[in-house]
Amino acid sequence: MTVFGIPVHIFLPTLIGSLLAGALCSTMGIFVVRMNLSSLGFAMSHAAFAGAALGIAVSGLDPLLLAILFAVAMAAVLGPLSELSRLNADTIIGAIFPLMMALGLIFLSIAPSAGIGSGALSLLWGSILGITMRDVVKLGILGGIMLLTLFAFGKEFFALLLDRKLATASGINARIYYYVILFLTALVVAFSLRITGGLLIYTLMILPAAAAYQLAYDIKKVFFIAPGLGALAALMGFLLSLGFDLPIGSSIAIAATTNFLLAIIISPKRRRLHSIGPILPN
Amino acid sequence: MDDYAVELDNVTAVYEGERIPALYGITLAVDYGNIVAIVGPNGAGKTTLLEVINGLLPVTTGTVRALGEEVSPSSHRLRQRIAYLPQDLFFDPSTPFLAYDVVLMGRFAQLGVFRFPGHSDRAVVRDALRAVGVEDLARRPIGRLSGGQQRKVLLARVIARRPKLLLLDEPMANLDPQAKEELSRLILRIHAELSLTTIFVSHEPGPLLNAADRVVTVVAGRIASDALNSPVLLRV
Repeated sequence: MTVFGIPVHIFLPTLIGSLLAGALCSTMGIFVVRMNLSSLGFAMSHAAFAGAALGIAVSGLDPLLLAILFAVAMAAVLGPLSELSRLNADTIIGAIFPLMMALGLIFLSIAPSAGIGSGALSLLWGSILGITMRDVVKLGILGGIMLLTLFAFGKEFFALLLDRKLATASGINARIYYYVILFLTALVVAFSLRITGGLLIYTLMILPAAAAYQLAYDIKKVFFIAPGLGALAALMGFLLSLGFDLPIGSSIAIAATTNFLLAIIISPKRRRLHSIGPILPN
Repeated sequence: MDDYAVELDNVTAVYEGERIPALYGITLAVDYGNIVAIVGPNGAGKTTLLEVINGLLPVTTGTVRALGEEVSPSSHRLRQRIAYLPQDLFFDPSTPFLAYDVVLMGRFAQLGVFRFPGHSDRAVVRDALRAVGVEDLARRPIGRLSGGQQRKVLLARVIARRPKLLLLDEPMANLDPQAKEELSRLILRIHAELSLTTIFVSHEPGPLLNAADRVVTVVAGRIASDALNSPVLLRV
């Protein structure tokens, strides 16, 4: 049995995996966007790419495991660094992006040709055929862990999303929850890498969350809208990729960007800002 | 109970990555129930002093005690009894939180991990919003409120937290004269009704500064003067 000319056992894992990756990435994007962690997320996604490339280059190593290790290591190093030395976002991106891309490309250049054929390009651009039901199960388990964590520490995360300093001042150990957020983000990036690719996974994390913030004033609604928009972008990208034979990562990026632009146009925040003019301090 | 609500003994504090201390050898004791005004020029160390008192900034030398406990950055439980309103805390129009939720979040730390707000917490929040006269704004996004309304919501959050020590950093900054007057009286009412010890940084003349028991002047990281309040002093 085939769907769009693709055997159903390939079609289904890719579809479900894309939807899951879209929902998970955009959920973590809620934190990344609101807490100005974009540069850290960007650095983590490229570290995951370099790690996975190393896994492909050296036989016997697991690309997913190395992607996780690289992304988590990046979070562990950059988290404190950005806090202590107050590095600005441009500095982090400027230092990390070329290094991780260079490492990733070096690892791919030394990979055996068989390895390149099977997975290397999917790490860069994503692959519609590279997702197995095993990957989907892993994403599902990660999604479950993420949901449990968000539920268990929801009020602490909300407090951080409002204002980290206010949260600390009220007696919440904000630093621990900040690192939980970085760790979860690193895991989501690494697990979703194969679907959108290391170069574009960042769009799936940032754009649906940024669009959700345009559409809602209530953070609880953002937590429903963002995963929905993430899954929608992934679905649209998946169908675009099938219909026009395009790389899935690029297709998802185009879909997410389109949704984001639409959200800006219909945003109630934008309309109200126009209608009331400048905001005065009191 | 300790003799003092707040006690600093020869405290020096340096910000991360800086060589010049923001505070030098500060020794200060504040009685329970007092209102203390911290005044001084910009960059004198007034905000640093408040951050040292609630442990947001670690001291390099000396000790800080508040409400009978030694203060450090890991004093999370102690901070649950201290309410601190930072300087320039203003929520922009895109902030995705309702005023009600901002007040409710004030109770989160006291609830502890794995516990969720219940009916009693929600009742406390409603009472707090009513006490500062903003119950009709509860369901509005915090970022859509004026500066004065936002400060009132944050004071409702203070009430909902039931603290013992209140630290305010320039609470009247960027407000119009009427809002300043109103907020000053509200702070004094909260101070009295919750039996608080209040330390605030402000230069604004008005009811709050007039009601201060003491005025501490900080200049270049040191206490330049520490005197009982008097109309003469406030004119300086």
